[in-house]
Amino acid sequence: MGKTTAVATTRPQPPESAPRIPGAAARPPRRERRPLWLMLPAGSLLVLVILVPFMLALWMSFLELDQYTLRQWIQAPLVGLANYAEALNTSGLLHSIWASTAFSVLTTLIAAPLGILAALTVNGRFRGRGAVRSIYLVPYVLPSFVTGTLWRIVLQPAGAVNHLLGDLGLGGDKQWLIGGQSFWTLVGVDVWASWAFIYLMALSGLQTISRELYEAAALDGTGWWQRIRYVVLPQIKGPLSLGLLLATLHHFNNFTLPFVLFGMPAPDAVNLLPMNIYQTSFQSFRFGLGAAMSVVTLIIMTIPAVAYLRSSRLDASPQEVEA
Amino acid sequence: MTWKPRDPQEVLPPRLRGVAITLISAFALLPVLFMVLMSLTPDNEVAAGTLWPSRFAFSNYANMWHTVSLGPGLGNSLIAAVTAAVIATALAVGAAYCLTRFTFPGRRIFLTSLVMVQSLPGTLLILPLFMVFSSIGSYLGLTVVGTRGGLIITYLTFALPLATWVMVTYLRKIPESLEEAGLVDGLTRFGTLWRITVPLSWPGMTVALVFSFLLGWNDVLFASILTQPGTRTVGVQLQILGLAAEGGAIPLYGQLLGASVVSAVPVVLLYLFFQRYLVGGLTSGGVKG
Repeated sequence: MGKTTAVATTRPQPPESAPRIPGAAARPPRRERRPLWLMLPAGSLLVLVILVPFMLALWMSFLELDQYTLRQWIQAPLVGLANYAEALNTSGLLHSIWASTAFSVLTTLIAAPLGILAALTVNGRFRGRGAVRSIYLVPYVLPSFVTGTLWRIVLQPAGAVNHLLGDLGLGGDKQWLIGGQSFWTLVGVDVWASWAFIYLMALSGLQTISRELYEAAALDGTGWWQRIRYVVLPQIKGPLSLGLLLATLHHFNNFTLPFVLFGMPAPDAVNLLPMNIYQTSFQSFRFGLGAAMSVVTLIIMTIPAVAYLRSSRLDASPQEVEA
Repeated sequence: MTWKPRDPQEVLPPRLRGVAITLISAFALLPVLFMVLMSLTPDNEVAAGTLWPSRFAFSNYANMWHTVSLGPGLGNSLIAAVTAAVIATALAVGAAYCLTRFTFPGRRIFLTSLVMVQSLPGTLLILPLFMVFSSIGSYLGLTVVGTRGGLIITYLTFALPLATWVMVTYLRKIPESLEEAGLVDGLTRFGTLWRITVPLSWPGMTVALVFSFLLGWNDVLFASILTQPGTRTVGVQLQILGLAAEGGAIPLYGQLLGASVVSAVPVVLLYLFFQRYLVGGLTSGGVKG
């Protein structure tokens, strides 16, 4: 879905693991009947709209499915791993994996210092802090389709950006939306749209640092850079690294922004995984192949998530994630 | 070099902070202000890349309703996103109540997968849903693709886990002693949920409702596949019109940006209004618009 991010931690939750028997002995057993049926509607719907489709997607990836066999997919021929072989050999999947990885990692790395700096500027108290915090959030909360529409228009060959560059004497004839340049255009626009996520995560980390620690650092007479380097950054490592992971995964799943910015078919440089899968499935109607590519995407996405879980279990303090 | 702040939480020196705030605010806000300015600029001037309009074209905001068929688009987005958000939140309360108050087999797995499924790629879920929806037509003779109902079902794939997770994190904070008091007073378990927990948890429910609404409102992937001209959401309308301008049609960019502003304003206001929940929501359940 690309628009959601989630805390990828499954750290055991201590308060949960202890069975809760509120006032157990005090009440007659009749009232202890637990209305577990309340789980049923949400639980069964989740199974129906997520678990079953997920299983079907796995199944689809082994089928020869196109626009002719789709409607009678139960009878569609099984082709084993042929879709996976085709995905890896001829569909440009490897290029898309590379492009998606480079795009999501670069975007996160460029957004990170900006987000941290922004969080530092609004950590102390001052007049108008609320307004500044709101301003920082505006690009982030714009719907992606609006962001894409805006930048698509101003980055046209005759658009406002080239006009401005021409007026400044920086050449005004750049092609932003086609060719190799499109990759950097996407990185730039997505940094603009999403840096505030890092800002929010860094800010939530800054707010957990105790006042005493700040005061101690101030008394020690350290310069501001040392204070950031040795006091702030180590303290916000937890939420910040979680933020970086989620941001990367989110960029990896981002479909709307490149779709609106470049249209379909996308320039080769921004033929990211979701774009390639969409094109394969809904424009070339190779549904089985698209499913195989989606499964590969999911496998790639679990790598950083698992790595994060491993490392956060080893050295995370319990309060770190649960802000 | 060694500067001592009056407010110890202020890490940056005041001058550096001032410069940084100015630059970052300009970076964040100027493109948005430019969008608003261009939405008041004649279409041909926007296409020609003008930086300041020769005259303000307030007519954009009148004409765009026809050009973009903005009204039906906003209506479709509103219906699909609100319905999915209401269903998700209503079901989420019951599920979250059980998940936070009782232990039962499968509970831990359920909680873990609630978090996990929120980073499932949308393309992975839309494929089988599309397959099932289109085969319902040939197996049962029902049309699902292109209807609002089909779109709402797909929106539940992200609204339901999100709403449930938001409610789980919220209900955890409501002390159980309040419910125990209700139980002692003779209420059933369901009675305590209905009379005590639900009234106390409306802030959490609001957040679940707003955030799952925003996800639906911002969707383009599912809607671009599952809608037909009559049921298109505003995101899809804008995407199609943006492309049409390059396919040789007259670029009605001023109106297009006007429509963008109109579809962004409610979302931006909702976010800014719920800003203080946003940080909590991000760290506990995760939201992005």
